[in-house]
Amino acid sequence: MPSSSWHRASTVLAMLWVAILSPSRAQAQQQAQGFAVERFYPSAAGAGWFVMDALDMQGDLGGAMALTLGYARNPLRVADGSQKLSVVSDEASADFGFAVTYRRFRLSLNMDMPLAITGDSGTVGSYVFAHPSVNPGANPDTLSDYRVGFDARILGQPGGSFRLGASAQLVIPNGHRTDYDTDDTFRSMVRALFAGDVGHFAYAGQLGLHIRPLDDSSTPGSPRGSELLFGAAGGAKLPVGRGADWALVVGPEVFGATAFRSFFAADDTALEGLLSGRLEGTRVNRAQLRFKLGVGAGIDQHFGAPEWRIVLGIEMFNRNQRPTLLGSQVDVTNP
Amino acid sequence: MRAKRSIPFSTRVVLAGLAAWILVAPARANAQAGPPSGHEDAAFDFMNLLSHNGLHDIDHETWNLYGQLTYISSWKRPFGAPYTNTNVNANVSAGTYSLLPTAERSFTGTFSLFFGLRLWRGGEAYFVPELIAERPLSGLHGIGGAIQNFELQKTGSATPQLYRARLFLRQTVGLGGEHVVKTSDPLQLGTVVDSRRLVLTAGNFTILDVFDRNSVTGDPRQTFLNMAFMTHAAYDFTSDARGYSWGGTAELYWDEWALRYGRITPPQNPNQLATDFRLWEHYGDQMELEHDHSLFGRPGAVRLLGYRNHVVTGRFDEAIAAFEANPAENAAACPGIDYGSKNSSAPDLCWVRRPNVKLGIGINLEQYLAKDVGVFLRAMYSDGKTEVDAYNPADRSLSLGAVAKGSLWQRPFDVAGVGFGMSWISAIHAKYLAMGGVDGFIGDGYLRQAAEGVVDGFYSVNLLKAVWLTGDYQFLWNPGFNADRGPVHMFGARIHAEF
Repeated sequence: MPSSSWHRASTVLAMLWVAILSPSRAQAQQQAQGFAVERFYPSAAGAGWFVMDALDMQGDLGGAMALTLGYARNPLRVADGSQKLSVVSDEASADFGFAVTYRRFRLSLNMDMPLAITGDSGTVGSYVFAHPSVNPGANPDTLSDYRVGFDARILGQPGGSFRLGASAQLVIPNGHRTDYDTDDTFRSMVRALFAGDVGHFAYAGQLGLHIRPLDDSSTPGSPRGSELLFGAAGGAKLPVGRGADWALVVGPEVFGATAFRSFFAADDTALEGLLSGRLEGTRVNRAQLRFKLGVGAGIDQHFGAPEWRIVLGIEMFNRNQRPTLLGSQVDVTNP
Repeated sequence: MRAKRSIPFSTRVVLAGLAAWILVAPARANAQAGPPSGHEDAAFDFMNLLSHNGLHDIDHETWNLYGQLTYISSWKRPFGAPYTNTNVNANVSAGTYSLLPTAERSFTGTFSLFFGLRLWRGGEAYFVPELIAERPLSGLHGIGGAIQNFELQKTGSATPQLYRARLFLRQTVGLGGEHVVKTSDPLQLGTVVDSRRLVLTAGNFTILDVFDRNSVTGDPRQTFLNMAFMTHAAYDFTSDARGYSWGGTAELYWDEWALRYGRITPPQNPNQLATDFRLWEHYGDQMELEHDHSLFGRPGAVRLLGYRNHVVTGRFDEAIAAFEANPAENAAACPGIDYGSKNSSAPDLCWVRRPNVKLGIGINLEQYLAKDVGVFLRAMYSDGKTEVDAYNPADRSLSLGAVAKGSLWQRPFDVAGVGFGMSWISAIHAKYLAMGGVDGFIGDGYLRQAAEGVVDGFYSVNLLKAVWLTGDYQFLWNPGFNADRGPVHMFGARIHAEF
């Protein structure tokens, strides 16, 4: 019948069309390479907030150790029109932080240990995404990028209403781009920090430059080179316990990053909010503990800003007010 | 906490160190990629610096931090071998399975930080990140139990890799007895414990942190370069490809006696990094009994160690039987994890891997003959029925030697030693290799079975109290348990720093 012939002919034509086009489409597809997806950079051990820095280094030689456990849901979802893919759907990690302080200076080391990074594979636009695959069985000893930082308080005093500081960090690559836990290049961050305590209100903030040599700009959902870092935090600081040996600080932290190549453009800006609370010891000249809990979500959900996030932290730190190495006394009011 | 100075600090630390030496020297850590040995008061390190300035109570620590840096270079002279790499198909790039007879150079570089933190009474946490870069000889193939550099790992590369070497909790429960001073060291917070105590460890560590320690061979980063002297060559302790495991140990110390038990994770497949966490199904069990003694006024110790692995491995007899029954089940046609052999006329363990048991028992002796001069002996017998799961292919091993510190010649931080090591394989293991089979590191294609032996001599010169420069010579015969190959002369140099 004519209709049947037409159906067969159209079917053959369609098959030919697919056969002709398929190789060219396959050739046009590119493999997404991966990058360091996380934009939640835990602050230096002893710095107080989850991301911001209280800049309260003081006294003689002191130190801090910190463990931050975190889980992020969908920190990387890639979309192109109606196509959506959770390339990184689940990310759990443990960050080990160590810091040495001396008067107004701090030297820190942060080492991130991915516990699990999983997601979905698929094609979005002309890019093929392979899901990351980090799990304790296959990767029993993985550490990803680590950060070495130097922070200094330039103005202000611990407990004062305004403190200004500067921070420099070097990010040393370790891991695999395909697991979305590294850019596989050296990176650095230079930040201006501010913080203060006004009565029962504590605040902190940052503005900085994240120097990233890697630019995957044509890949959907990928960051575009160097970024501006920004963030602010504020909260109530309430004394707890007899003699106010503890303090409870509750308040939000908002932080994000935007690519200079596409300044604050919707697709190249990640913004995240975290409601955090911390209980911290306030005594001096002895080891103190700080317990932290934060729950948040991506406000502008792009690379690294997740659908939601939960973080737990525990720190041991001290606020030394002791003789210095040279034997003179430290005056914490004029450190 | 600030150190109290009721008596001079240096005197106190010397006394504490002497007490610790007498009481706990046999229990010093000794590990693959292990921690540096105990830091003496005169040595330079970060914790001593803080303590000397009254900024840290090194005897009752809440935290400590140590580090080490080690670079080892090895050079192998050309040697005679009638055949090499007969398992490699010339048309296929499949690497090497023999120790190459040409001159070669190998190196390792490691950097480690040792963080310790006291959590609560008797509770301690340790975290050790480590960086390694390496290039082995012949792709780490062709040598059985006497690999020339103990730092070499199965997954290493010349590009530095950072990984978490250790992350574990330790809980000490005092049960009375005398007071034992534990000096501040890597993986040890300075404290005082009971001579009768229960020590529980859980997490990620190397089993050599707990088992088969020997204070004479001590920290391999300060003594012998050859792996034959780090532990029993035939001790196939389950671990990932770097030598680390997850699991738990329990140690009961009762004055001069110690009884230890540990269960740790194996790799998912032999010699792989991926770890099998199903400890109820696949595991390595070990038990050790230790007695510390004094002979003619000098300390010594005797340790009996037994292990039982229940892991996924292949039996040599089953691999041979499978091949003889069906030659299609050969090394070149492996369906799963294998060692990459392209020898279609050889059997392969890949066809017969299933949960198997491996057993071994060994003895470890140490005895000081004079101040700072000690001798050691280790001997182990493993059943030799299954392939190497995690360490090396030796089925039986013997090592002995002597180590002396330079106090005899007025250089107290120098160290010198000479050691002799032998290892053997079982008859069925030899038959499998002679048929062209590959077992992890070895498989020349043919085999004239012999014991593999090594003599290792070294001298470490101490510089600046924290840096050691070592010269090392090794003479290796019958590499890969093959009398047709070798002998091999190897020279090594090491620079090691602690801080």
